[in-house]
Amino acid sequence: MVIATTKGLSRAHEIYTDRGLRVRELRKAGKKIVGYVCLYPPVEIISALGLVPFRVFGDMSEPITAADQVSITVVCPFLRSIIDLGLKGKFDFLDGIVGAHTCDIGMTLIISWRDYVKDAPFTHLIDVPHTDHAPAVDYFEGQINSFKRHIEEFAGEKLTDDKLKKACEIHNKQRKLVRELYDLRKSDPPLLTSTENLEVLMAISSLPVDEGNELLEDVIKEIKNRELKPPKKKARLLVWGPVVDNTSLYQLIENADANVVIDDTCVGTRAFWADVKAPYNLHALAQRYLVDIKCPRTYRDSCHQELERNYDKDLDSRFNYIKKAITDWKVNGAILQSVKYCDTHGYEVPNLRHYLDTLGIPSIYIEHDYSERSLAPIKTRVEAFVETLDLR
Amino acid sequence: MSETATPAKTEQKRAINRLKSMYPLRNLVQQDYVDTLQASKEGKPTVWSMLNYWEGDLPLKAMDLNIVYPENYATLLAASGAAEPFLDASDSDGFPNHMCGYGRATIGYSYRMMKENGGKIPIDAPLGGMAKPALLLGSGIICDARFKWFQALARYFDAPEWCLEMPMMATFEGTEPDLEEYQVKFLTREIKDFIEFLEKLLKKKMDWARLEELIVLATQIHETNYQINEARKAIPGPMHSTDFWSSMPPSLFFAGDMKVSLKLYQDMLAEVQERVKNKESGINYPERYRIIFAELPPWHSLKFFDKLAEKGWNFVFESFGYHNTRPIDLSKVSDPCEKLARFARNFWFNIFPEAKKDNISNPVVETYLKIARGYKADGFFLHPLISCRAASCSLRTIQHFEQDKLDIPSLWVEGDIIDKRVFNPQEVLAKAEAFEQTMDHYRKVRKSKGLDW
Amino acid sequence: MPGMDNLTSHLYFAGIDIGSTMSKAAVVDAESRMLAYVVGPTGAEHRLYANKLMEDILRKAGLTLSDIAYIISTGYGRVNVPFADKQITELTCHAKGVAALFPEVKTAIDIGGQDAKVLKIKNGRLVDFLTNDKCAAGTGRFLEVTAETLGLELDEMGRISLQTDSPVKINSLCTIFAQQEIISRLSEGELLPDILAGVYIAIATRVVKLARQLKVEMPVVFTGGVAKNAGMVKAMEAVLGVPVLVPQEPLITGCLGAAILARDEAFKLVQRGEYEGHRDKKLTEARIDFGEKSR
Repeated sequence: MVIATTKGLSRAHEIYTDRGLRVRELRKAGKKIVGYVCLYPPVEIISALGLVPFRVFGDMSEPITAADQVSITVVCPFLRSIIDLGLKGKFDFLDGIVGAHTCDIGMTLIISWRDYVKDAPFTHLIDVPHTDHAPAVDYFEGQINSFKRHIEEFAGEKLTDDKLKKACEIHNKQRKLVRELYDLRKSDPPLLTSTENLEVLMAISSLPVDEGNELLEDVIKEIKNRELKPPKKKARLLVWGPVVDNTSLYQLIENADANVVIDDTCVGTRAFWADVKAPYNLHALAQRYLVDIKCPRTYRDSCHQELERNYDKDLDSRFNYIKKAITDWKVNGAILQSVKYCDTHGYEVPNLRHYLDTLGIPSIYIEHDYSERSLAPIKTRVEAFVETLDLR
Repeated sequence: MSETATPAKTEQKRAINRLKSMYPLRNLVQQDYVDTLQASKEGKPTVWSMLNYWEGDLPLKAMDLNIVYPENYATLLAASGAAEPFLDASDSDGFPNHMCGYGRATIGYSYRMMKENGGKIPIDAPLGGMAKPALLLGSGIICDARFKWFQALARYFDAPEWCLEMPMMATFEGTEPDLEEYQVKFLTREIKDFIEFLEKLLKKKMDWARLEELIVLATQIHETNYQINEARKAIPGPMHSTDFWSSMPPSLFFAGDMKVSLKLYQDMLAEVQERVKNKESGINYPERYRIIFAELPPWHSLKFFDKLAEKGWNFVFESFGYHNTRPIDLSKVSDPCEKLARFARNFWFNIFPEAKKDNISNPVVETYLKIARGYKADGFFLHPLISCRAASCSLRTIQHFEQDKLDIPSLWVEGDIIDKRVFNPQEVLAKAEAFEQTMDHYRKVRKSKGLDW
Repeated sequence: MPGMDNLTSHLYFAGIDIGSTMSKAAVVDAESRMLAYVVGPTGAEHRLYANKLMEDILRKAGLTLSDIAYIISTGYGRVNVPFADKQITELTCHAKGVAALFPEVKTAIDIGGQDAKVLKIKNGRLVDFLTNDKCAAGTGRFLEVTAETLGLELDEMGRISLQTDSPVKINSLCTIFAQQEIISRLSEGELLPDILAGVYIAIATRVVKLARQLKVEMPVVFTGGVAKNAGMVKAMEAVLGVPVLVPQEPLITGCLGAAILARDEAFKLVQRGEYEGHRDKKLTEARIDFGEKSR
């Protein structure tokens, strides 16, 4: 298997198509692979202990056939897909899996993994408080510490301050590189498509952090130097919502005379926008993960302890990072996408659309069930939405 | 929802042998709605609260606030068949329709009140509706919906909001040696901050003596309920689940005057113990099967249980999330905030040591195994709800473990907490026959394995 | 708009709407006036049918393909019109067509054979929309299935339903279960007109629920095959609480809108100097001459 010769975007595509490609090799060479679900498990700890963090996703093209034995059907189809794949042994290259109480079903997933998917000898569930209040950050630090103790045992070594600091620095470097990659879509037309961007992000989440950084550097150079540029299109869109881990949705949008130039999703800006800050200790991790990641699962409360509440002020305080993205990437429309049965995102939709309205950004909400066939009816709606954008 | 029998009805044998002591408890809740509405008309600020396992409600009561539970009000909407216009209103404001039925009902109610009715209570709201909130107290306990939907209410109300916390975890992580201490510290600080906030909002100091008094009353109410639960283990089961559901709000939500509800629960304990002495059953038909119900009842179709009672199905225990655990000894704890923290935390974490011993990773599953053993269950009636993931997601695992560990079969019946069109009683009655044969079979299997039921 | 003189009087533009059950085509002139339209069942072969449809409309309008300067296809099968110059969604085309017929329109409700759409229109343009393509209960399908169950024609159903003012409430959420409900209620002695009226109300209720998410503003225009049915119109008005306007031919708003958009698109391209003639160059020898004065 000659794979080391592909580089840049081709390499990203290769890994996107077969995500276990590199980690299976590493495992043969004696490395331990620790899967993680969602953005809340601190990958710095995993890397610092010499383990390889591997982000676990579902598979939109795989029909769900095994999950119903252990799960009810009316739950997040993304998470249901993960347990389905787990039961079918598709993650047998993982030595462990870490999840967090990011949402109700996210928590249940790890418990089910423990009960029903016997492969992974190491499982851990990190509790994440719902708010970002100060006592919650301290509690979360305690949870991260519990996780650290457990995974140290598994890794057979202790986490030193120095190891952690180095890991934070290299992961921060990755985030910085990703932000550089995103900068390449500020131009009109953007220098790469959202499909290419997603493949790169999915690829680096399936590689050890240093290899991921190398890939990013290659990709950025390749894109800056390539002659053929994606075409200019009518719309410059922001896509919001829970995990988009398959290019089919972005492809559908880009076929509708639109460029997705930025996103607010967890295979996207939510994962890479915030760095861990000095002094790179557990408290800094708690702060970065609980407070700095902007995901609707966390009750970010602008009006915390305020005696009066103002709707517009609250919305602005919760969502003004989106305003910045809209300005910096010159966005003129937003697609809010979510999966059926997602509560954390579902409740946000009317309020977020109202906020976007006040910014003069038209938006549409589409819901799918995380399967490729559920995207077909969405095509017309996305096309019609782009048609309504009052441009040109 | 009125249960007063008309002359024609008393001739017909009532399937469920309802406890006399249930009625005043149920009336207490209904009266509480009327009272809070009246109080709000008189200018007393109303708090909309979520079930927060007593962390937040005791401070609210100590500050003499008017408390309304939209979660509980939604069950009234469901039971009185009045939910549809509110659900539709929520849909029309752009909220996805797969969300929690209680959430949709509350959002729809708020929309109709504030956007359609200029701030007045919608005319079709049963029991006079819910007064406009001056404070929203959300809670992250149990499920995401319960704090996200309150956050979404900012769309309609400018009331300040607070979100209370409770850790939720699996057995392994939940039995780490140092966990309890830093969890208690976390909750204590949150409660302290919350009380400080209340003081600022209401411009008055917390009456700590009153809070301590309420904690004592809460402990007594819970101890009484614990004794009732223990008494319910008798054969035949002396108290049917429907009686529990009708009478639990004052213990779960501490609705009304707690001194009054304590007395009423003590009456209930006496009545249940009397029944145990006389071997009196909770149903008026011979008890053929002892059934455990999980998790949330079909509020809109409670009459359905009568049909099953006629077949001798006695629902002897139910809905662990609505009960309380045996209160712990808080006498050595001096800080009232810490008392509350430990009191609330106890409900969720008391089962963990047993779960660890039995090597069960989901504490809810351990809880139901314990219940099954304690109440000598013949079968489980598992009721997954299409709009409530939190109350449904563990049901498959419960089904598997009850079968594997105790040879107890489960009947799987789908429904919804608020939409009665999803629940099909005819289908259930059809399945019931077959399920009886399954239960008979597994009774034999259990006996052959040395279990005594 | 430049070009609106007799130099362009020979120019025509076509719109083709390939729907899931019915296909339609229309031709307009340079001033967006409709010359002719045709309607026919789609059948299984979209590609072949598109050609036939084009032939039919040309014959009816007394034109040849070389007279058509620009063609837009729309509808479910819009990708299967090989000679179309552009594809635009039926949502945008419907809005355009409805606004051409009723310039003041603010809300358009369309109930098709297999879906339902609500369009919000401002100044003749589509600005927002919602669709139901998941559930048959709010579409023409519900009526078809019911007609089959009762052995009635669709028109008959409408006429019978008008005989009553007390529709029954159909409780079943699902088209299939509703049939069982209808039958059992008939056997219980409920009157046929009441039940049929109830069916129309049930459909209207589903669709209006969708519409309310966009806030219904008047005037409301009601289109789609189902809009020809008087029973359906009555039900819509009853549930909406406001009168609705129904075009004379409610099936053609899509293709009419597509034809008008074809005209607009062609003129836009001309203004930018990008017009390259009809896509299907085999059929048009030379560039259509828009005339010097139109630039």
